[in-house]
Amino acid sequence: MSLETESTPEQIQSAASDEVVISLNEVNKWFGEFHVLKDIDLSVYKGERIVICGPSGSGKSTLIRCINRLEEHQRGDILVNGVTLDSNLKNIDAIRRDVGMVFQSFNLFPHLTVLENCTLAPIWVRNMPKREAEEVAMEYLTRVKIPEQAEKYPGQLSGGQQQRVAIARSLCMSPQIMLFDEPTSALDPEMISEVLDVMVELAGTGMTMLCVTHEMGFAKRVADRVIFMDFGEIVEQNTPEEFFENPKSDRTKLFLSQILAH
Amino acid sequence: MSDAPTTSDGLRVFKPKPSLPPPPATTGVIGWMRFNLFDGIGSSITTVIGLLLLGFLAISFYEWAFVRGVWEAASRQECRLSPTEFGTCWAGVEFWFTRFIYGRYPDAEIWRLDLMAIVFIAWMAPLWAPKVTAKVMVGLSAILVFPFMAGYFFLGGDRNWFMAIMVAVSMTWFAGTMIHVAACLLTGKGLGHWIITLSGFSSRDDRTHKYPLLMAAVVAFGIVYFVIQSWQLPIVGTNHWGGLFLTLVISGIGIASALPAGIVLALGRRSEMPVIRVMCVTFIELFRSVPLITILFMATTMFPLFLPEGVVFNKLASAIVAVCLFSAAYMAETVRGGLQAIPKGQYEAAEAMGLGYWQSMGLIIMPQALKLMIPNIVGSFIGLFKDTTLVSIIGLFDLLGMISAISQDPQWIGLHHEPLFTAALIYFIGCLAMSKYSQHLERKLGAGDRR
Ligand SMILES: Nc1ncnc2c1ncn2[C@@H]1O[C@H](COP(=O)(O)OP(=O)(O)O)[C@@H](O)[C@H]1O
Ligand SMILES: [Mg+2]
Repeated sequence: MSLETESTPEQIQSAASDEVVISLNEVNKWFGEFHVLKDIDLSVYKGERIVICGPSGSGKSTLIRCINRLEEHQRGDILVNGVTLDSNLKNIDAIRRDVGMVFQSFNLFPHLTVLENCTLAPIWVRNMPKREAEEVAMEYLTRVKIPEQAEKYPGQLSGGQQQRVAIARSLCMSPQIMLFDEPTSALDPEMISEVLDVMVELAGTGMTMLCVTHEMGFAKRVADRVIFMDFGEIVEQNTPEEFFENPKSDRTKLFLSQILAH
Repeated sequence: MSDAPTTSDGLRVFKPKPSLPPPPATTGVIGWMRFNLFDGIGSSITTVIGLLLLGFLAISFYEWAFVRGVWEAASRQECRLSPTEFGTCWAGVEFWFTRFIYGRYPDAEIWRLDLMAIVFIAWMAPLWAPKVTAKVMVGLSAILVFPFMAGYFFLGGDRNWFMAIMVAVSMTWFAGTMIHVAACLLTGKGLGHWIITLSGFSSRDDRTHKYPLLMAAVVAFGIVYFVIQSWQLPIVGTNHWGGLFLTLVISGIGIASALPAGIVLALGRRSEMPVIRVMCVTFIELFRSVPLITILFMATTMFPLFLPEGVVFNKLASAIVAVCLFSAAYMAETVRGGLQAIPKGQYEAAEAMGLGYWQSMGLIIMPQALKLMIPNIVGSFIGLFKDTTLVSIIGLFDLLGMISAISQDPQWIGLHHEPLFTAALIYFIGCLAMSKYSQHLERKLGAGDRR
């Protein structure tokens, strides 16, 4: 990953292969009586970068939270890395080790330093020796450009810095798939780009990424595929060029006109 | 403006204005008083009346405690006659003071209690020394291991095989802790480091380091065990225990058991397994909705009815069990409150990283929740410390029990006020110390991570 790709808003080369890492088959989910996800079919290829967008309440968060079983689906199958997500705890643990997640509200652990936030899971989940975990953590903190904040507590950092720590924290588990749930929505405008830069760089490393975001510039530049959801359904999915230039459904067109209006 | 500096391409350079100190306020003592005490007529009148009342109380107290105070007298009668009429009889308090502290513990054996107090302080004190390593171990052992030694010193008599082992473990542990602390303070390295170095294991793989440590522990234990094997202390039955000593024993055990038991109950109450949840909820609600005094009465009067014939019933033991159950139920609710204050995102982040239930509880949730709970936890501890006075009603002579005992002593008959004042003072000091310590702890733990 070189610096040029960061500063020039060019499309990043796709790293997608034809190996399926996540596959959702007829997935349905209800919250009580409320049908949140309706017949979701989705295959994600290794190295593919997917941006999911759609109006608030359309089920985007629920969809990606089903992939690491923060939410439980009731019907259909979800396979991650060939492992089926069901109530088998071993499978869930295995999948969570390989799937990193970044939240809208960062969810850093406020009682631990930045470095401890990053080393906690490698030490306790991967049984990595502390020293090695710290080396790995510093490497990733350097990659998100805040190695000098390692000894601080999350509360002493800005929102953008916190979100970058959260990304580093996930990367320390060396996941194969990264899920992002509106990582920039809680940030002040001037901090959005520092987080997006890190995500663009990550995309350049060939990481499989699923991002819920409304940053359309990011989608155009990084995504291999844009998925539009509404009312718990995948309304449309396409390459970013087609999606933005040539939407196939009236709902997509309306949504695009709303978010691109200003 | 023409003199504003510009960049080469003609843009005005933005220079932020310097920060200035705030305008001078009405500061100083006079300013503070004018603002807070004499801010208008109503406020001034209230202040004056308050001050008068305060002064009156202070003078009355001074007269009662000091002017009329009698420090040397052989009986209450003497206090009342000389040198002033109705003298305040501190002589009685003085005469009985040892009993207030140690109850009816035999004079010749009181050193055992003093020794245990010193041991406990020595065991806990290193927690405040910055140089000492392995503080968690030191603190935990003071709570979990010390009670066996203390229990034996308090009670004396024969040791069964279990107590024989535990007393030796406890003494060994104490000795080890003291050597460790000394090593830390003098050399900056703990006992473990020196054992490993001196045994020549420091050059070997880290994983072998536990062997010399284990060896040293076993050898030390063996020596202590055989040295103290034939040593015995005379027995002092729990019916002789009393005074502040008994208060500390009951509240100490109650406090030490309340937090772990409360955590277990609170987690059980949030469990997804219905059987565990129902059991915990029943326990908590049952013990929270019955006054402690009722539980104490039931423990000491009804419980023996269910005991099989011939089993010795110990009033103190059942009182302690009652206090523990009661405080556990209260603590469970305190802990639950703390757990609820932790945002859902913390659980989710821990889960998403692959941490298991106990890992996320122990590493993420509990450390944060406990910190939030400190004021409430210490509040419960203070409440418990004071609630132990209720055991005097079931015939145990705790501090308050001893206070009422003095008024039945023929020589000091009817002496109530002075001993009660003394007891109040002792409780006040104890509670104030706990409360101040909790504030200190809050500040210390809160310093690192402002949210
Ligand atoms: N835990 C829950 N219980 C009940 N309803 C929920 C829960 N989480 C989300 N929902 C509902 O499900 C719908 C989809 O939520 P979400 O996936 O968060 O939408 P999005 O991320 O697209 O804004 C919303 O209407 C929301 O109110
Ligand atoms: Mg959402």
